[in-house]
Amino acid sequence: MASAEARPVDERVRRVGLTRTLLNRPELGAVTGAILVWVLFAILAGDRGFLSLNGTATYLEVAAQVGLVGSAVALLMIAGEFDLSVGSMIGAASMVMAIGIAELGWPVYVAVAAAFGFALVVGFINGYIVVKTRLPSFIVTLGMLFILRGVTIGITRALTGRTQVPGVHAATEGDPIAAIFTAQLGPFDVVILWWLVIAAVATFVLMRTTFGNWIFGAGGSAIAARNVGVPVARVKIVLFMATAASAALLAVIQVLTFGSGDVLRGEGKEFEAIITAVIGGTLLTGGYGSAIGAVFGALTLGMTRQGLFFAGISSDWYQAFLGLLLLIAVIVNSWVRNRATRGG
Amino acid sequence: MKAPRWLAGVAVLGLVLAACGTQEASPGDDDGNGDGSSRDLRIVVVTHGQASDPFWSVVANGVNQARDDLGIEVEYNAPETFDMPAMAQLIDTAVASEPDGLVVSIPDADALGASIQAAIDAGIPVVSINSGSDVYRDLGILTHVGQTEFEAGVGAGQRMAEAGVTNTICVNQEVGNVALDLRCEGFAEGLGGVPSEVVAVDLADPAGAQAGIEAALSADDSIDGLLTLGPTGADPALAALEASGRAGDVQIATFDLSENVLNALDAGEMLFAIDQQQYLQGYLGVLIVTQFAQYGLLPGGGNPILTGPGFVTPENAAQVIELSAEGIR
Amino acid sequence: MTQTDAPLIEARNITKYFGSVIALHDVSLSVRRGEVLCLLGDNGAGKSTLIKTLSGVHPPDTGEIFVDGRLAQFDSPRHALHAGIATVYQDLAMIPLMSISRNFFLGSEPTRSLGPLRLMDLGQADRLTREALREMGIDLRDTSQPVGTLSGGERQSVAIARAIHFGAKVVILDEPTSALGVKEAAVVLRFIAQAGDQGVGVILITHNVNHAFPVGDRFTILDRGRSKGTFAKGEITAAELLEHMAGGAELDELRHELEDVVEVPGTPPPSGSAAPAP
Repeated sequence: MASAEARPVDERVRRVGLTRTLLNRPELGAVTGAILVWVLFAILAGDRGFLSLNGTATYLEVAAQVGLVGSAVALLMIAGEFDLSVGSMIGAASMVMAIGIAELGWPVYVAVAAAFGFALVVGFINGYIVVKTRLPSFIVTLGMLFILRGVTIGITRALTGRTQVPGVHAATEGDPIAAIFTAQLGPFDVVILWWLVIAAVATFVLMRTTFGNWIFGAGGSAIAARNVGVPVARVKIVLFMATAASAALLAVIQVLTFGSGDVLRGEGKEFEAIITAVIGGTLLTGGYGSAIGAVFGALTLGMTRQGLFFAGISSDWYQAFLGLLLLIAVIVNSWVRNRATRGG
Repeated sequence: MKAPRWLAGVAVLGLVLAACGTQEASPGDDDGNGDGSSRDLRIVVVTHGQASDPFWSVVANGVNQARDDLGIEVEYNAPETFDMPAMAQLIDTAVASEPDGLVVSIPDADALGASIQAAIDAGIPVVSINSGSDVYRDLGILTHVGQTEFEAGVGAGQRMAEAGVTNTICVNQEVGNVALDLRCEGFAEGLGGVPSEVVAVDLADPAGAQAGIEAALSADDSIDGLLTLGPTGADPALAALEASGRAGDVQIATFDLSENVLNALDAGEMLFAIDQQQYLQGYLGVLIVTQFAQYGLLPGGGNPILTGPGFVTPENAAQVIELSAEGIR
Repeated sequence: MTQTDAPLIEARNITKYFGSVIALHDVSLSVRRGEVLCLLGDNGAGKSTLIKTLSGVHPPDTGEIFVDGRLAQFDSPRHALHAGIATVYQDLAMIPLMSISRNFFLGSEPTRSLGPLRLMDLGQADRLTREALREMGIDLRDTSQPVGTLSGGERQSVAIARAIHFGAKVVILDEPTSALGVKEAAVVLRFIAQAGDQGVGVILITHNVNHAFPVGDRFTILDRGRSKGTFAKGEITAAELLEHMAGGAELDELRHELEDVVEVPGTPPPSGSAAPAP
């Protein structure tokens, strides 16, 4: 066999320019969508506060809150699973924080540790059930959504007789640990920084580490991945723990910032997180996606929500417009991706 | 890369609709025509009640009437569900848009305090309505238009005690709202300090709410009084009483009005309903903040301006029914 | 027989039941270094079951498996993989959405250190993948493109190259050409032949004699769970192989039946029709 001779270059491979390489990235659609949405609201509401510093800070804060959870959810979706219980976890962790600090007098760091510990345990349970029973994670985490929310309401009412626990501000005045989660630079909340840091970590793990390769493999084909030695079960369990922890992080930030916890916190966030991931280029079927894209997905969602208010759209029509804009963003996103991967 | 034509069409359609939606919120707003200073004023209302809620749509009607009467621009905003962080963000957004006045409800002072403070620091006049009667002063808000919840609850309890009721349930349909918690507490107080079992139901799920109330009724035969805190609790409660056959032995009263409530009053099936006259909350809230912004006038000396409790009974139900059909009560 | 002469893998008297169904009965085969053994049989002959036994999916009920002359018992596919038996399934080999290099090294990613962190070395993965493929005769300029951009035949070839690169002594291919067009099938078959040249043992499962005959060194035929014999290349023709697979008697019957209706080349025209000469 002639292995040392020069072989004819595969004639079907041509030099692809930088543009084409960029176009192939899953994030492109999300970036495009975000820019379009920004331009839209800059036109409609630029003089009504959308372009002001304060205005930018408000939509960035909204984006950061959903983006915190969206990054982890995107990774889990790339691995082929859903976590519908993150919204309820935000509520549950909020109550652990609020009751711990305001009612039980815990120091802040104890409450924070308890909230994260609780989340990691629940995340582990979610993951374990999904990998052991092989039931669709959609169903398993849907059940957990109800269980968590119900337990939150039940225990809170039993302990405090109320559904909302205030008084956290008073108990955390001047606490340095609380400051890590609530600091502000001008009108900008530190939650924005948390969001970007988490997104950077998620991107790094996904694209540059072995674990990230396993995430893609597990989502692309769990069987094929298992056959070559990828510990698919372990990967998924870790990711479920990560989504629960990101929900706890948001809960900690919200309770310390807003000074109270209520049993309904986080309702609906699970769907917002999924929307964020999908706008960002993550496939619902798994195996493909981007954490950077989820950043732009969160940005799109934040700009859309607050932009509609800046634009003065009558609130009766708010939900219709939100849905329409999201649909357009997703369509643009998928159109751009199709054009890019089709070539030409 | 050519964009498909239909995509451009969708984008244009979106812009057109958005532009229409924008104008809807600002009738009679002439750009730079300069006569009548009230025409250039813009007020933002942020409440925790969705316009799809029957109670809050009456508030929104009051708001809109004030807008028309005064000839100013008013926006009404609320989060889609009971979501305090989202509401705080709406207030932040409102502040960033630099309105001439802000009207808010305060179901959770801790959560909303910072955002309201930012509004006051930015020099925006703020008036609160509906919830927050015990916290508005500390926050630096000009005045509160509404009904003090605890006292209204006491009034309800007293009336029920007069009717001979001894053992009660209090149905809370918006778990998380401090004002509602206060109503139940006041109710128990007005009954002579007898605790009232609180049953929580989901305001978005009438069938589930009805089932929950029926279950509470059948768990305890000695219950002879039922208080609900809103129409989304009252309607299922009336149905639950019918279904469980206890309509004769249990006195039912409620906060706030709805068509079913008024009909029940008219038919004598309900003892009374407490009307906080939320139309006035919307109307007066906008009026007061506008006149403060224009002329610095403020009625009430900083004390809450009470719009309730007004008691609707079987005697005056008929008249109220007519007004309710117009979305005023 | 010394150790170095032992076949890479040998199965003796394998029997497998599934409930009351006898999937395999007393089947034996062996593969030596550099040899391509074609396992032929019609659908339902038991080829898949035999392969699953060899690759550790389920143990045989009776019979033994020897790897390099030593007795082996596999608890799982992973176990068989460690012993050097790699199986490439038709549709589960590559993940279309991932790049070629990522696919190639999935589960065995090369790493480098960045301070305290261990990262996947993507540059090395690309380079090693290109080299490994070039050694096997595939020249792909850009291995960071998704596998989905490769044709079916190329995908199979990359899967086989991966198995060989990671030390497989025996590569079992389950119907690699069944879903491929003529040209693509040729690509895979050429690749299989090269693999054999490199000293790897190949078991090629197929029901297509035309694909098997050119590349095979030996042919084992299964029919309804039983082995009908193993033949070397020079001992048998393609037509004979086909007859064995289908069962000679049945093919004759089919021919007779058809003769009454249509003109089958090489036979007298149907009786009663005035068919023109072809």
